[in-house]
Amino acid sequence: MTTRPSFLEVKDVRKAYGAIKAVDGVSLSVGPGEIVGVIGPNGSGKTTLFNSILGQIKPTSGNVEFCGEDITGMSPLELSRRGVGRTFQTLQVFTHLTVRDNLIAAAQEFKGTLGGRLFAKNDAGLGHHADEMIELFRLKHVAHLKAGTLSYGQQKLIDIAMAFMPAPRLVLLDEPCAGVNPSLVDQLHDRLVELNKTQGGSFVVIEHNMDFIMKLCPHVLCMVEGKVLAEGPPAEVQANRQVLEAYLGN
Amino acid sequence: MTTNLQKLAMLAAVAAFAVLPVFLKSYGVYLCTLFCVYLMATFGLNLTVGYAGQMSLGQAAFLGIGAYIAAIGLKFGLPFLIVLPMAAVACFAVGLALGFPALRVQHHYLAFATLGFNILVYLLMRNEEKVTGGTFGISNIPRPSILGISFDGTLPFFWFTLFFTLVVIGVLWWLLSSPWGRAFAALRDNPIRAESLGVNITAYTLLAFAIGAACAGVAGTFFATLVQFIEPAPFHFSWSLMMLLAVIVGGSGRFLGPVLGTVIIVLLPEWLRFMQNWYLAVFGFAVVALMIWLPGGLLSIPERFFAKEGAK
Repeated sequence: MTTRPSFLEVKDVRKAYGAIKAVDGVSLSVGPGEIVGVIGPNGSGKTTLFNSILGQIKPTSGNVEFCGEDITGMSPLELSRRGVGRTFQTLQVFTHLTVRDNLIAAAQEFKGTLGGRLFAKNDAGLGHHADEMIELFRLKHVAHLKAGTLSYGQQKLIDIAMAFMPAPRLVLLDEPCAGVNPSLVDQLHDRLVELNKTQGGSFVVIEHNMDFIMKLCPHVLCMVEGKVLAEGPPAEVQANRQVLEAYLGN
Repeated sequence: MTTNLQKLAMLAAVAAFAVLPVFLKSYGVYLCTLFCVYLMATFGLNLTVGYAGQMSLGQAAFLGIGAYIAAIGLKFGLPFLIVLPMAAVACFAVGLALGFPALRVQHHYLAFATLGFNILVYLLMRNEEKVTGGTFGISNIPRPSILGISFDGTLPFFWFTLFFTLVVIGVLWWLLSSPWGRAFAALRDNPIRAESLGVNITAYTLLAFAIGAACAGVAGTFFATLVQFIEPAPFHFSWSLMMLLAVIVGGSGRFLGPVLGTVIIVLLPEWLRFMQNWYLAVFGFAVVALMIWLPGGLLSIPERFFAKEGAK
């Protein structure tokens, strides 16, 4: 097994709901600029693992370190301040705001202080950056429309673009391809690769679309029943007999 | 964005409203002033409910706190320009405290928490006779006099109130045009996502309550000096419901929504008085009809019209 430099270090995280072990001793490490994929059948604990890392739920045991700092149980707000971003399994955009405002809202709280923002320009100096992101995600034609009026696929792109607006050091993407049509999936792949190059952040991606994850992630982890079943390069994991039996099929 | 034409139209409307009372009898001037007073409170409530998405049924309590602070302060001989910020700051502080339940509960649970607060404040006003005068209230509240200029007359007092109403509206416009406005909207639309994007939902929730309450506190000061006699009845929770109605009927989360909403709660009942015993029934029916056909409020009419035109 090759040793990868650590950036995010998840150590033996467990989350139990009564007798049900949603996450059962998962360890994971992500290096700087690395893209790691997490696959596994529904109910295997992938999202619970994400939520444990991201402070949405408190793990029963184990700890999470980010850049050497213990971030176990920190609130999503504290994590966002440390440069950790995320997307959710379901759409999470600000439906009554325009696409451009969604993107500005995603990054404005990192500019100055709460009091200072009261006296700041309406776009908090982020208008240009938001326009760049709109361009990158091919959303220019809908930039002035309210996010809630757009199609699911377009909202998904906004959702992902929002996570990258503050240029986070680590982004956890929960099923970015879910409900997205095949042509958008390719577009999404290209955008993520481009962002990985330009922003240099690390990504952890949960996904069921195997083509997408195999193409995007140099390192993949397969979870089944709360445990890590296999880990390694995508081709290796895909060929693993246990993974084939438990998740991918023949 | 507001176009120049819209700005001009708004200026013309404000100018027309400023001149209107010159042609009215004293009761008409009183109603125009009362309209301004409730505008301040409903604009504040629109920030709390419409922009930040925090349900509040306690706005009348803040109106009352502001009114009693003004009444007691002015009777004590304090100048109006001291009493006014005192009421605003006191309501801001109490509003901040009332915001804490909103960090734990939402929607109808929060509605009942704020309703309970209004009932509590109402009972204090009614029972703490030594301070509030109880049901006998506080009378002979002086009208403001600033730098020797008296605003005792109905018309000068109307203009004085209108000026401060415009100041309150201007401050809220400035505040909501800043990044704070977008943060409030993010809090309303999706607090979980907002927090993951660095929005301090604790601070913004508390601020939404506190700023909304401070506006009602300012309104209360003008209410006390308008009627010159206060007792607990106008601060009953039924008036919180009326102010919430104004926000929703006008168009919750639309900046000028409270203007139309306040016309409905303050002026419409007066215009319907010619119906004598039927006027409250007609008022109630009008509100029900508005809620059914215009759930987005009166200011959603142009949007609906253009959506229909676009669909053709």
